[in-house]
Amino acid sequence: MKLSGVRYLTKQGFDNVWKNRMMAFASFCVLLVSILLVGLSILFYVNLNSIIGGIENKNEIIVFLDEDITKQQTDEVGKKLKQMDNIKSISFYSKKQAFDDMKSSMAEYEEIFDSLGDDNPLIDSYRVKIKDISQTNATVDSLNEIDHVYRIRAPYDFVNILSEMKKIVTIIATAIIVALAIVSMVIISNTTKASVFARRNEISIMKYVGATNAFIRIPFFVEGMITGIIAGMVATLITWMGYDAVVELLTKEVNILNIIGMGSIIPFAEIAFTVAGLYIIAGALVGAVGSVLSTRKHLNV
Amino acid sequence: MVELKNVSVTYSTGVDALNNVSLKVEDGEFAFVVGSSGAGKSTLIKLILKEIDATSGMVQVNNYNLNTLKKKKIPEFRRTIGFVFQDFRLIPTMTVYENIAFVLRVIDAPRRYIRKRVPYVISLVGLQDKSNSYPTQLSGGEQQRVAIARALVNDPQLIIADEPTGNIDPELSFEIVELLKGINECGTTILMVTHEHDLVRHFGGRIININSGEIVFDEVIGGNNEA
Repeated sequence: MKLSGVRYLTKQGFDNVWKNRMMAFASFCVLLVSILLVGLSILFYVNLNSIIGGIENKNEIIVFLDEDITKQQTDEVGKKLKQMDNIKSISFYSKKQAFDDMKSSMAEYEEIFDSLGDDNPLIDSYRVKIKDISQTNATVDSLNEIDHVYRIRAPYDFVNILSEMKKIVTIIATAIIVALAIVSMVIISNTTKASVFARRNEISIMKYVGATNAFIRIPFFVEGMITGIIAGMVATLITWMGYDAVVELLTKEVNILNIIGMGSIIPFAEIAFTVAGLYIIAGALVGAVGSVLSTRKHLNV
Repeated sequence: MVELKNVSVTYSTGVDALNNVSLKVEDGEFAFVVGSSGAGKSTLIKLILKEIDATSGMVQVNNYNLNTLKKKKIPEFRRTIGFVFQDFRLIPTMTVYENIAFVLRVIDAPRRYIRKRVPYVISLVGLQDKSNSYPTQLSGGEQQRVAIARALVNDPQLIIADEPTGNIDPELSFEIVELLKGINECGTTILMVTHEHDLVRHFGGRIININSGEIVFDEVIGGNNEA
């Protein structure tokens, strides 16, 4: 096919969007809703994961040190901890600090604490944050082998619950996203089928005058792609506004972020390009392929 | 040229649409194909366009052997045929000019040629003033003339007109047939399917009558207008 032919067909595709604007609008709406449904589900999942990750970060192992440990030995333990693979950060928590914290958190028993005087029954410890909580057990084992470590306290239950939760959330989210994607494909293919059906005369004439299948398909391809790209762009805008609104609601009104913890919700600015890119590519791809597949039945004349 | 040798067509439903039909239409001929509905006229047309394949027998059209023609070659083959439908089948979103130019775009004709050829065929069917009109703005007769111009534009060896006067006022039908006759005089083979006996009697010529899937009459008769 010559270049002029390709140019003509591409122009036809653009013109068709306007000429068949009612059907194009229907395809656009279906694509938009599908992209939004799937996109928002993915965003929700990603954020939920990020929140779980945030909770993981809060999770720490406490390494209690021997009661009679010297300052030098304490530093040595600290060094060894820092060298370990699965450890993200450590902080020293002295027995003095522990005593003061305990005292202020139980103000009504101040007398008891005072009666102890300088006789601090607590011991020094390191607070250790680990990278991969599923490896907690192995890490605890190697922590136990360090000299002058008296005892380890790790939140095993918490770890197990979190890993279980992550698994369940992933399974449910994947199922929902796949189901939505399938439903979207079915609706989109039916919409484009209706659009193609409305123009079956045009297609049959093309066949009778000797048009090749490619010639017939290119305008549909271009048309579907344009519709998809526009749907992707609008979906990006809606997601952006909706996302910001929800984040604002959660931070300002409910203050829920502080309860479940931290800036674990991903700011939209950070993912705007990825979201826009994926939306537009998905829209263009589904729109174009959907239209072309729907023409197939009408090409066998 | 259209040639059928001992052709039978049996549909998958078991209906025998054509039964051992042999037929030869030479280049430059004008033939009416008549017969009641269900007689096998449509099947004959579909066969010639390679919309369907013969169950047995040989079909040859414009030097293409349709029995062995590959699917990929069908577009190339169809470009040697012009087709006129009963219901015009113009594309409603295109102007008269666009509807006709469209055929040349399909066959990848140079743009300069399109700009020269389209106005020429529009003038042949006498619609110079309607070039930029849309099909819905035209009368039935005018729409069919556009359809004929469309069939004519890529200079096909054969034009098949399937009941071209079926949706047109009777007095305008004669104009349409005269237009086709004029095209035939320039050398194009024309096969016109009709069941309007008045037209056939008026114009005369070669009449092929199909009944129950068989050719029951195939002769040249004199028309009233000549007598």
